[in-house]
Amino acid sequence: MQLTLKNVRKEYGETVALGESDEGGGRSGVDLDVDDGEFFTLVGPSGCGKTTTLRLVAGFETPSTGSVRFGGREMRGVPPEERDVGVVFQNYALFPHLSVAENVAYGLRFADPPGGESREERVASLLELVDLSDAGDRDPTELSGGQQQRVALARALAPGPDLLLLDEPMSALDARLRERLRLQVKEIQSTLGITTLYVTHDQEEALAISDRVAVMNDGAVEQVGTPQAVYRRPETRFVAEFVGDNNVFEGRVVSSRAADEFEESRDSVAVEGESPVETEGSEWQGERDGTADRPQRVELDVGGTAITIVTENAVETDDRVAFCVRPEQMRVLASGSEERDGEQSGSRIDIETNVLAATVSGTEFLGESTRTYLRWNDRELTVRSANPLSGEVRIGFAATAAHVVDVERGE
Amino acid sequence: MLRTALARLEAHALTLGTVATALVLVVVFYYPVATVFVDAVVVGGRVTIAPLVSVLTSRFYLVDIFGFTAYQALLSTIASVLLGLPGAWLLARFEFPGRETLRSLTILPFVMPSIMVAIGFVATFGRNGTLNAVLGALGLPTVDLLFTIEAIVIAHAFYNAPLVARVTTAAWESVDASAVETARSLGASPVRAFRDVVLPQLLPAVAIGATLTFVFTFASFPIVLALGGFQLATVEVFIYSRIQNLAYAEAAALAVVETTLSLGLTYLYLRYEGRQRASGQGARPQPRQSLWPASTSVRSLGTRIGIVAYGLVVLAVFVGPIASMVLTSLTGPQGGLTLDHYLFLLERQQTGASYQVRPLPAIENSLLFGVGTLLVALPMGVVVAVLTTQEFRGRAVVDALSMAPLAVSGIVVGLGLLRGLVFGIEVFGTRVQVTGAIAVVAAHAVGAYPFVTRNVAPLLGNLDPRLVESARSLGASRVRALVDIELPLVAAGVVAGAAFAFAISIGEFDSTVVLAEGSTSYTMPVAVERYLGRRLGPATAMGCVLLAVTSLSFVIIERFGGRYGGRGGF
Repeated sequence: MQLTLKNVRKEYGETVALGESDEGGGRSGVDLDVDDGEFFTLVGPSGCGKTTTLRLVAGFETPSTGSVRFGGREMRGVPPEERDVGVVFQNYALFPHLSVAENVAYGLRFADPPGGESREERVASLLELVDLSDAGDRDPTELSGGQQQRVALARALAPGPDLLLLDEPMSALDARLRERLRLQVKEIQSTLGITTLYVTHDQEEALAISDRVAVMNDGAVEQVGTPQAVYRRPETRFVAEFVGDNNVFEGRVVSSRAADEFEESRDSVAVEGESPVETEGSEWQGERDGTADRPQRVELDVGGTAITIVTENAVETDDRVAFCVRPEQMRVLASGSEERDGEQSGSRIDIETNVLAATVSGTEFLGESTRTYLRWNDRELTVRSANPLSGEVRIGFAATAAHVVDVERGE
Repeated sequence: MLRTALARLEAHALTLGTVATALVLVVVFYYPVATVFVDAVVVGGRVTIAPLVSVLTSRFYLVDIFGFTAYQALLSTIASVLLGLPGAWLLARFEFPGRETLRSLTILPFVMPSIMVAIGFVATFGRNGTLNAVLGALGLPTVDLLFTIEAIVIAHAFYNAPLVARVTTAAWESVDASAVETARSLGASPVRAFRDVVLPQLLPAVAIGATLTFVFTFASFPIVLALGGFQLATVEVFIYSRIQNLAYAEAAALAVVETTLSLGLTYLYLRYEGRQRASGQGARPQPRQSLWPASTSVRSLGTRIGIVAYGLVVLAVFVGPIASMVLTSLTGPQGGLTLDHYLFLLERQQTGASYQVRPLPAIENSLLFGVGTLLVALPMGVVVAVLTTQEFRGRAVVDALSMAPLAVSGIVVGLGLLRGLVFGIEVFGTRVQVTGAIAVVAAHAVGAYPFVTRNVAPLLGNLDPRLVESARSLGASRVRALVDIELPLVAAGVVAGAAFAFAISIGEFDSTVVLAEGSTSYTMPVAVERYLGRRLGPATAMGCVLLAVTSLSFVIIERFGGRYGGRGGF
């Protein structure tokens, strides 16, 4: 079933929980379209309105303005019990006075099991679906957190809802269990083909599990797209910084010209031996306003340092430009402790297009790699390297590694 | 067809419950109280402020009645605090067998009918009471404490010292041992640490206990009536005597002034309590010391002697009256054990004018009204509990309106019901009149349902709202979620609230004595009061029956609600 939110706002007195705040007279709300069978995730920091959105869809709250539609049907005034939604909460919210099986069967008191099954069969098949066939007679409180969450999922699915709503379902679980359970949730979701709205503050989880993601901030949706699109082509500065590690630079345009043939497709540049990244042309071309016909090679002045980037955004001399470079796109060229950071398989010339001399301020050993924090011109940068670094280092990135997130027109 | 009708009814059941509760409150509480207010300013069909002015300008009313009422309340408060604080210290800081039981027992006076306590005190302090028997046996001169302010104050302390102890113990136990240890490690002596860390956390609790005691004793009726008579009359007693003399305007004027005062006091109390409510959760309590010291030092010996002395006082004040009552109920006119007084209770017919109040009907009425009260107060209390745990605009007003019955005296409600519904009123040209029995149940229910709410609401409030949301998204209506999920999870509070409601109905005296005047709807407490003075034996026997019923209620409350009873129902 398709889920549509049209210009939805939620206010509590003066506080705007969802929708843009009133400054500047804008009273716009949130628009979302979730396709039938899609796994759609709302991700954002706490207080961004993602849980409010889920509660509006569930019918626990009523939008102040705007409309929530299930398959085209306006849901205003429809109480939660008549919406055919299954809800799973972070703290499970299992009924402690009922057994596991009774919990799963609760929704079947009000609706016949789908597919002509008997109630007992339905409960048994759902417990089997979540790998808890033997737990039916147990007290929910006897189960571990992960098991309780699976019971909550089975309970939500039992009446055969049109829509599954999951509100931070993994947040109370430890990291390893979380990863295992999210695989299981994703698998069950795609088996049943149920439209799913998932809420999380964990951007990594959002990227791992979703068909599409909506990144929310301060009551508004910043970007909607596939996990790949949101990660590789953030549309706003907030998305760039919230999703994954990122380095955001600001500079003034000194000059711009059409890019060379060689650089026309930024993703064809191989960095660190990665296979070339697929480009989803439709999202890439003409997605934003101010897209130039052809990629431009732009010279920037970033705090006194000359930086060259390639972008499809139309920019003119003296524009202020914010762009980001992922840590994994930055290469360490030389450091005090280490002459070369491994063998370079990519094009050295590209990597050395932009070279920054920085000082190591801290490192975090992550196992498969090391995250290094650098000071460069009074700003902090993050890079990934195979081995720990120290002292003075030179880092470089290709002109095509930069992604523009904001352009402000010059005077 | 029927099914959709039922479904529609279910969807609006909560609204219907709310409307029904509001209606009951308006008809049997707000309307009667309004009647009293109108009685005070409308005499013979004319609006006049003469009765109010006469109350507010009369030296007799202001000094002898209101002055004395406040004076005895103040003395009672001091006595209750003095008697309660050592108990709090003992309960909070010492470990001994039966400590938990003793702590639980502090809730018992709350459910004891005050007229029963009064009769216990008559049996103890009366001319032929236990105290004089003991004094006589020791060759000492006898004393007559009855109809003195001392007897009233001690009886009030019996009621309220446990309340003070209970509230203070809770505060003391919530003092975090780490805070005391931090103070000590920073250089404070034990005494200094107590003064700087513990005391500031105890004082608000003591203040709450003292304020509540003042509010309760200011409006105390049966104890003062039985132990002070009309010689030592508080406002309540005086209003009652005016009602007996059919001087309704005067009674109403007094009631208006009294109600205004006690609503004001309650409002101040609630504001103070609201500001003081500390979480105290997650605190590691200070370790208790053993009542039997490991070593004998002068100091620990002194402490133990003090504790023993306090124990004797507690025995005299708390156990004495109850034991005397039981003893007297089993003692014949010439001494010696007898069951005559209990047999008297079972006799259906009594001859003679002094038995207008017959014992067996009184017992039957009490039980009947108790069940009736339960049936009305339980749904009302649950509905109000559900309402007060939800967020909506105007919630504070609903809170206040629904809890007002706690602050208005039973005499006033009784008077209002008597003058209104019992005497009969015209509604749209039809004469509406209810019998005394219905009025009694109504008055009891109004007095009892706040206790149901007080027991259920905190439990409901602690429930995860997502439980109800889960149930609703699974297809349950709001009322189904209440019945399927919430009520089973707060069953303990509902049972405790029911026990409270029953106990309060069984022991209720104030409004019952007003409504039962000259009718057949008298109850055990009314009978006890009537027998008092004429025949102490039957009075104490009936007191013992009351004791048995309320003790049973106490056991149920303690079993189910003890954990949550918090402030003894408050």
